[in-house]
Amino acid sequence: MAYSDKLLDHYENPRNVGAMDKDDNNVGTGLVGAPACGDVMKLQIMVSEDGIIEDAKFKTFGCGSAIASSSLVTEWVKGKTVDEAAMIKNTEIAQELALPPVKIHCSVLAEDAIKAAVSDYKAKKAEKTEAAE
Amino acid sequence: MNIDQQAEALISCWSCKGPCPQASAFCHTCGAVQPPGQADHFTRLGLDVSFEIDPGVLDSFYFNLQRGLHPDRFATRTPKEKVLSQAQATAINDAYETLKEPLKRADYLVHLKGMGVFPEGCNLVNDQTLLMESIELREALAEAETRHDVEVIAARAADDIATCIRQLSELFAADDIEGACRLTTRLKYLQKLAEEARAQKAKMN
Repeated sequence: MAYSDKLLDHYENPRNVGAMDKDDNNVGTGLVGAPACGDVMKLQIMVSEDGIIEDAKFKTFGCGSAIASSSLVTEWVKGKTVDEAAMIKNTEIAQELALPPVKIHCSVLAEDAIKAAVSDYKAKKAEKTEAAE
Repeated sequence: MNIDQQAEALISCWSCKGPCPQASAFCHTCGAVQPPGQADHFTRLGLDVSFEIDPGVLDSFYFNLQRGLHPDRFATRTPKEKVLSQAQATAINDAYETLKEPLKRADYLVHLKGMGVFPEGCNLVNDQTLLMESIELREALAEAETRHDVEVIAARAADDIATCIRQLSELFAADDIEGACRLTTRLKYLQKLAEEARAQKAKMN
């Protein structure tokens, strides 16, 4: 079984590795894990005042497919609204990277991570609005 | 049928038709090898269903059974007995492999008690404290520059694993399956950390 060039490229040259200040109100953080493999993935988004994702960072400790999936998602979400980002489907990730069936769960993890980051950002926003009222 | 009833259930021996405990590898009346059946791993090896196992007892029960099932003993037996003895040997190996290792044993026992630790799809960890701890430790390991740094993390992982196993014993004894489920996931992450630390140390040599 050979991995796709795209997958290998994201694995060997992961985009947007890093971290943001999770206490920043414009940052949404998603932290998810795959217990069966002991993987853990952190994905963060920096959102502008009008709800556009300006930047994204990730840190993944796991297999190559998990790293490539999260790297790809950070590229995809930039320039999207948070709602658009939350609609990314694992099947799209799996298709883009041509993930083998046994690695599909890695793309699920990346989907969960971006969803968690968006809901963290929204929860912070709601809290801020509440505090302002 | 609950687990204890299952252990005691009697079936009729295929050879002598006499009563035979369902989980037993051999008929108690005529000694004929039995089909593996549905017994849980603990019962299959003659152990109580409990997280707390004496590794010496586990080994001796296992080796005893395997001696009785050795292919040499079945060389002159009927094809049916040969097939059954192989099926028994496989089931017993499977049980032994699962019970000997604390993580697998905990995972199995949680399942046996009706909960799933690593469900299909396996992306269901939502325990933020656990995930935060895991990512911080993995980050620290990734940033470790010297052998000593790695050894410090490995030693902490080993301590945490020992504590985790001890706590798992207590939770299983108290029948707190939900708590055991959570700790089993933590143990999985700790073992992964220890594994990664070992790999990193090997690379530094």
